[in-house]
Amino acid sequence: MSDKPKTSSCPMCKKPAERAGNPSFPFCSSRCRHLDLSKWLDEDYRVTTNITDRSLPSEEEDE
Amino acid sequence: MNQAGDVVTETAQNIAARASAKDIEISSVTNGTYDADSIQVLEGLEAVRKRPGMYIGNVNELSGLHQLIFEAVDNSVDEALAGHCDKVSVVLHIDGSASVEDNGRGIPVDMHKKEGVSAAEVIMTRLHAGGKFDNNSYKVSGGLHGVGISCVNALSDWLRLETRIAGKEYTQRFQRGVPDAPICEVGPTTLKGTRISFLPDRSIFGITDFNFDQLTNRLRELAFLNRGVSISIHDERDERHFDFQFEGGIASFVSFLTRGKGAIHPDPIYIHKVIPEEGVTVELALQWTEDYKEKLVAFANNIRNNDGGTHETAFKTALTRTINQFAQNEQLLKAFKGVLSGDDIREGLFAIVSVKLPDPTFSNQTKDKLLNNNILGHVQQAVNDGLGTWLLEAPALARAIIGKSVDAARARDAARKARELVRRKGALESSTLPGKLADCQIKDPAQCEIYIVEGESAGGTAKQGRDRAFQAILPLKGKILNVEKARFDRMISSQEIMVLISALGAGTADDFNIDKLRYHRIVIMTDADVDGSHIRTLLLTFFFRQMPQLVERGFLYIAQPPLYKIKRGKNERYLKGEPDYESYLLNCGTQGTQVVTATETLEAEEIRNLVSLTLEYQRKRDRFSGQNDPRVIDAMIRELPLSEEVAADPPRFVEWVQALARLLDERYQDTNFDVPAVLVPSTDEDAFDGPYVDWTTRHMGNLKRTRIDGGLLKRRTFQQLVQLNETISTKLGPQFTLIGSTKESVVLTNADALAEAVLTGGKAGQTIQRYKGLGEMNAEQLWETTMDPTRRTLLRVEVDDEFNADALFTVLMGDAVEPRREFIEENALNVSNLDI
Repeated sequence: MSDKPKTSSCPMCKKPAERAGNPSFPFCSSRCRHLDLSKWLDEDYRVTTNITDRSLPSEEEDE
Repeated sequence: MNQAGDVVTETAQNIAARASAKDIEISSVTNGTYDADSIQVLEGLEAVRKRPGMYIGNVNELSGLHQLIFEAVDNSVDEALAGHCDKVSVVLHIDGSASVEDNGRGIPVDMHKKEGVSAAEVIMTRLHAGGKFDNNSYKVSGGLHGVGISCVNALSDWLRLETRIAGKEYTQRFQRGVPDAPICEVGPTTLKGTRISFLPDRSIFGITDFNFDQLTNRLRELAFLNRGVSISIHDERDERHFDFQFEGGIASFVSFLTRGKGAIHPDPIYIHKVIPEEGVTVELALQWTEDYKEKLVAFANNIRNNDGGTHETAFKTALTRTINQFAQNEQLLKAFKGVLSGDDIREGLFAIVSVKLPDPTFSNQTKDKLLNNNILGHVQQAVNDGLGTWLLEAPALARAIIGKSVDAARARDAARKARELVRRKGALESSTLPGKLADCQIKDPAQCEIYIVEGESAGGTAKQGRDRAFQAILPLKGKILNVEKARFDRMISSQEIMVLISALGAGTADDFNIDKLRYHRIVIMTDADVDGSHIRTLLLTFFFRQMPQLVERGFLYIAQPPLYKIKRGKNERYLKGEPDYESYLLNCGTQGTQVVTATETLEAEEIRNLVSLTLEYQRKRDRFSGQNDPRVIDAMIRELPLSEEVAADPPRFVEWVQALARLLDERYQDTNFDVPAVLVPSTDEDAFDGPYVDWTTRHMGNLKRTRIDGGLLKRRTFQQLVQLNETISTKLGPQFTLIGSTKESVVLTNADALAEAVLTGGKAGQTIQRYKGLGEMNAEQLWETTMDPTRRTLLRVEVDDEFNADALFTVLMGDAVEPRREFIEENALNVSNLDI
């Protein structure tokens, strides 16, 4: 899936996040991990659904 | 003495020098002139040679050796600061000697009244003699130790002074500080300035090879700190050479430090303030970057103050106040309630604070900390005015800077909360377990599992159905926010996140400790509908990000509640998902059937395969880049194939499009398939990509736009569809007969009809119930189908070794519902079936 197996980009700042030897993985740093945590605690993360989408049969079949 | 000695007031060597120098003479000072009268004689050089470490630093390290050069350079820079010099050059010679030259005023050579020798000789041979002890000659003064050039002389095997002053050049040579002869005139010159060459004394220094790189670093720094002064270094040993001259001064310095760090604003902010009546200059340069560290370096009179001091403190407090004030005025603190701390504001900041002032006082000999209080107000004023104005003039950049500070503040706040959560737990242990949690009896984590169940009612059922010895239940309800009429947002409330973290017991983020985890199986159990899938997505994302060890250790699972209950007579069975359901129907529907084609008779298993391929074809077709009308794609594949030749030939392409439109218009009476306009790009250019149409149609209420051109034929999914259809139609031919299990027969002409007949047959004679949620099952059913370790199926959540976390998270949290779902299904989770 990815070209570079050992690195991916940090979900917060998009900078490269090393996998090996990085306790903050998948983040690049402890700072980004905590910013992410703050967003969970502040209810910033949401999954948005369009009500029209919900009524589509294809959505139901999906599971 | 007080007035003269301020620069080094509290240094040890000075106290020593004073104690031993009974015969100090202080000459009177004539205003603003620089001649023999303004030189104050303090001490001889014997003490320096006896205890060189006290004067020059460690003689067995490069720092001590290099200090020889820097003493000379500092004198030249002082000349530059006084406005008399703009060029300093350092040369490292092959014989191990070095020379430092400037184009300043030259060292004066007139006779010193009391000493009876030239002023130059006094400067070169008397400890602490030098113009810099006298405020009138030099306004400000640097020099790490301020011991003067006489120390260099004392510690050199030989030293040659050349001074050009008032149109004449003079020279004098010394050995270990002792003059060979009085200073003598060499001849007339049009130049001015001083050149000092010396060879470090090997009997004193343990190391005598100058290090080009280290010298270069400090000389570069000096060039940054003294805007416009040209400082060069040349190494004759290997011809390396650098010329430093920075018109931007410390702003250039900051740019130099932020290379490759991702600056938030393109140019450093530069603030320059001169207070002429006090002889004080304040220079500030600052730039914010994407980095998370801060780098703040403070200088006083070109000396790096590693412990900061009054100028640095003033800068920090003024910076914090100015940014907070601006952020509040502009209402930029909505995302964070509270005041931004200095640390938050300085995240990613690279700054230089450089002040020049008369009579600097430092905390210790190495001048790590500036103590002058009079500089406080000036620095604060400079920040308030300079930065305040900058922020107002660049509101977009100001917002970016403050946005970053707010993020830093939030991260810090979250880190604190995470720590508190762990600490609170540690103190009170199990008594703080959340009330919603129905814990299990066994305490050994390796044997315990926790079901995170969507919804209170399903949670209640699970509590009744579980094996309370080793199964814990945590009901979790998603929070729904109706944002607009047409959409709603689903989230996990802050409260639920906290409950989740405390129930698992291992903390979170940096404080996560897997040894404290209370369950080694964490099972997410959600409804098999869109809401359930969204809650699952959120939970998985949370675990991936904040507790990735759960996934790495293989502790995270997804429960597989049945999707279908099928009842035939007294027999009941449950089916997990669509694939199971489909193969069940195919099995039932093909039992005892035959298909007779023009060439052969197909039995149940072959029919099953063909129908399975047909269903795959239908799914692929319907999903094929959502924009396209599946009816158009279908006809292109099954009935009126488009060849590459036709696609590249505009007249034949037009004919083909017309034929396709006629066919579709006839077939689908409810839709108006007007012949679309064929667009042909200019053919006489290389860019010719062949003709194309953008066909707009309406399918099931949705507008579809199908782009047909040569490129469509080359797309992978399209070619797969062609391949599938090829396999199916070759086998079935244009017409075939389906013979049912009761020997009734029907003639069919396409695979879709066969699939429909088989599926209908498969459903016959049984009651099929599709579960919409966990709540439709009773406790016993839930236990049997989903929780009983002997009968259930759990999916273990794993992350592919080569997964791209970025894609994963972007898609999970993106706006588009469709790709997000696909990602979860296809890529994010490499879930393996485990019958546990």
